[in-house]
Amino acid sequence: MPKHQLNINEQVFTVEAEDDMPLLWVLRDVLNMTGTKYGCGVASCGACTVLLNETAVRSCATTIKSCAGAKITTIEGLSDALLHPVQQAWEEVNVPQCGYCQAGQVMSVAGMLKRNKQPSKETIEAVMSQVICRCGTYDRIRRAIDIAVAKVNNP
Amino acid sequence: MKHSVNRRHFLKLSSFTGGGLMLGLVLPEWAKATGSAADCESFKPSAYLCINKDNTVIVYVAKQEIGQGVNTSLPMLVAEELECDLKSIKVEIAPYGSLGQGAHDTGGSQSVMGLFDPMRKAGATARTMLIAAAAKRWNTGVEVCTAEKGKVVNNKTGASLSFGELVCDAAKEEVPKEVLLKNVKDFKVIGKGQKKNNLKDILTGKVQYGIDVKVPGMVYAAVARCPVMGGKLVSVDDSEALKIPGVVKVLRYEGTGAPMHVRAGVAVVATNSWAALRARKALKIVWDESKGKGVNTAQLEKDMAARAKQKPAEAIPVKGNAADTIIAGPNSMVAEYSAPFVAHATLEPVNFTAQVKDGKCELWGGLQLPDWTVGLVAQELQIKSSDIKVNLTLSGGGFGRRLHSDFALEAVKLAKQLDHPVKVIWDRTDDIRFDVFRPANHHRLAAKWDAQGRITHWQHHVLTTSITRVQRPDAKQLSENLGGASQDFWYDIPNVYAGYSNVDFSINRGWVRGVEFVVNVFPLESFVDEVARKLKKDPLQYRLSMLEGRKPFEAKFNDNWKETIDPERMAGVLKLAADKIGWHKPAAKNIYRGIACHCYTTAKAYAAHAVEIEIKGPKQFIIKKIVATIDCGLVIDPDGLKNQMEGGTVFALSQALKSEIHIQDGKVVEDGFFNYGVLRYNEMPAIEVHVVPSEASPGGAGEVGLPTLAPALCNALAAAGNRPRRLPLQKDGYSWS
Ligand code: FES
Ligand code: FES
Repeated sequence: MPKHQLNINEQVFTVEAEDDMPLLWVLRDVLNMTGTKYGCGVASCGACTVLLNETAVRSCATTIKSCAGAKITTIEGLSDALLHPVQQAWEEVNVPQCGYCQAGQVMSVAGMLKRNKQPSKETIEAVMSQVICRCGTYDRIRRAIDIAVAKVNNP
Repeated sequence: MKHSVNRRHFLKLSSFTGGGLMLGLVLPEWAKATGSAADCESFKPSAYLCINKDNTVIVYVAKQEIGQGVNTSLPMLVAEELECDLKSIKVEIAPYGSLGQGAHDTGGSQSVMGLFDPMRKAGATARTMLIAAAAKRWNTGVEVCTAEKGKVVNNKTGASLSFGELVCDAAKEEVPKEVLLKNVKDFKVIGKGQKKNNLKDILTGKVQYGIDVKVPGMVYAAVARCPVMGGKLVSVDDSEALKIPGVVKVLRYEGTGAPMHVRAGVAVVATNSWAALRARKALKIVWDESKGKGVNTAQLEKDMAARAKQKPAEAIPVKGNAADTIIAGPNSMVAEYSAPFVAHATLEPVNFTAQVKDGKCELWGGLQLPDWTVGLVAQELQIKSSDIKVNLTLSGGGFGRRLHSDFALEAVKLAKQLDHPVKVIWDRTDDIRFDVFRPANHHRLAAKWDAQGRITHWQHHVLTTSITRVQRPDAKQLSENLGGASQDFWYDIPNVYAGYSNVDFSINRGWVRGVEFVVNVFPLESFVDEVARKLKKDPLQYRLSMLEGRKPFEAKFNDNWKETIDPERMAGVLKLAADKIGWHKPAAKNIYRGIACHCYTTAKAYAAHAVEIEIKGPKQFIIKKIVATIDCGLVIDPDGLKNQMEGGTVFALSQALKSEIHIQDGKVVEDGFFNYGVLRYNEMPAIEVHVVPSEASPGGAGEVGLPTLAPALCNALAAAGNRPRRLPLQKDGYSWS
């Protein structure tokens, strides 16, 4: 089986896996990093969102091969002490219910704010409509995004 | 162990076993056991909590955390009486079996209600024993000692001892028979906003759900299931599947019937989830699908509409003589409403892990009724329940899906053919196609009024594809309860009659969040609105005229089950919702408002929704604002309560707008989030939640935010001139933004 080098949360891992194995399953089943969640496997729910070179991608639709040389950030790599502004905003608003979708929500916002510190309402809707929350925390997510945007602009 | 169960019975049972009785039985045992412990590391005055030498307090929560917040609200009850900082508490899932039969049953919005006293008593008991231990140390009376912030303080000398320093002595203290609980006005923790207990773990990716379980030697399985209920495997060619790297073997098993209806399956077992899911696609299977022939939801809708016009199969006279009244003529109206099968679609797809070895079994996953599951697994394996070990986990959403055990039985059927523990992983398509659906339903309502426009006769014929029928095919009575439509119907009408008819249909179905209340309140609160509008009365005032001044009344469902309903509390949530939506203010052009209320009888809670919409075209609208109000008695965790109401509203909004399961020839048509509609971020309207302050004993909230959303929205559409009578709105060409 082919070998792959992955740079995840500033650590290098060597993984033996098929070229087309999705990053999601590499993280979860091979590396036992279960913070990234499975919700659909076909890029329809956003639960599995991670950052690939600082861009939010669906890890269920990203092959391990396409990650070669890239810098991967998962929810585990954001900040253990909750220092990331998106984590802080989420904490302030007390967003989660079951919590299952929240890694995907947080990583999507983190990716969005990396590209655009002042996203328009339309941009936010376009990005966040890809990430389902079945518990229905959307209003809190909306409030938390406002706070995160403020934090990013006035650190 | 009973293998088929009436949900109501379960819920009654769980609130009962969570009651004071438990404490009396369990407490002294635990206290003695730990008192004699030589290590003196901890003090465990009951199965609910443990205090360690390092001052940490572990609270064991038996109810399953599925997003409804029990891991936050229940520990608050302990902290309040124990007098410790909530931050010093570590929450753990109570080991299965540690609290007795029924303790883990999670459903019906009953958790806080059932544990309000036991959890507080557990805290107070520990506090009393810690104080007694400290008083002895200081050689003084207990009356000069108080507990605060994790310490016992000597009020004479100012000396203090931390709980941790007292664990060894406290464990030797006599367990008090009775303890004094605080007055509401002295609460410091209860009723104050709290952050979710595992917020930090969620935000750092550390939180573990059933799907994250990893046990040594574990293999992964993906199952190809027979697409129709009751179908059989004819043949399978697994040669291509076995070639895929990582695949270990392919297993087969037969399906089972009631109560769980596990489908016949072919399972690919592999070293990781992806290999299993991928290899499953390479199986070439022929199923016998003949049982599904002609099983179509399009036909079911017609059958239900036809059946609705006949006499109900089961009559439930409520009061007066509406049963024999044929409602027709000038001062009357009749209307029919319907709603389809819907799925749970928890964001964590169904999954389960099991191991069967040496005549014993071990299970890992989220289970809302684990006792039932254990009974069924014992039967499947022909072993004793005591040989089954259950490791409960958090779940990424429940909504009733994990009240069922089909997925656990399936995992066990595989595990018994393997030497390794196996995690069965369902992809999203499996999760939707093989769900246990909320029954499709149809209603015929009729009302008659007098010259003043007061309703004198009310009839409600409820038709569903019965849950009882699918779980217990030989059951005589199928109308378990009619949630709001029978004895607990809240309007003051002299003659009320409810009837129930089952319409058989071959698909598995079960309890989905809000259960019978979601099913019945939509037609009921739509119809009362229809009558009001027909009589040109204000729908709010019309409702209030049938609530205000009505004394609390008792809904008696059978000899050992009754509930009290207070119409004034109902009026309270209704008026609050009306105020907050601006009901009394004139509406701008194209702006319309709708309102609805209900009593979630079994959760002892009252709630209302008011919805404001803007009409953009004949069937096009924008939801401008939603107001949700609730009175569920004393509130434990106000922010958690609001979150539940917001979430309940969103869940109900998905169903009102776009969730629908179609079945063709016994097969589910929908297969993922692309065609099974759930609300997304861009569709989220502005929402406000308002809580009626109350000191009534606490009720539940997890399901209470659902039932009134759809009728309030449809009533707003009706105000604009177009009354929807079936859900989801998408089905009749409505669009929204
Ligand atoms: S799991 Fe990747 S988008 Fe749903
Ligand atoms: S918090 Fe449960 S799915 Fe979003």
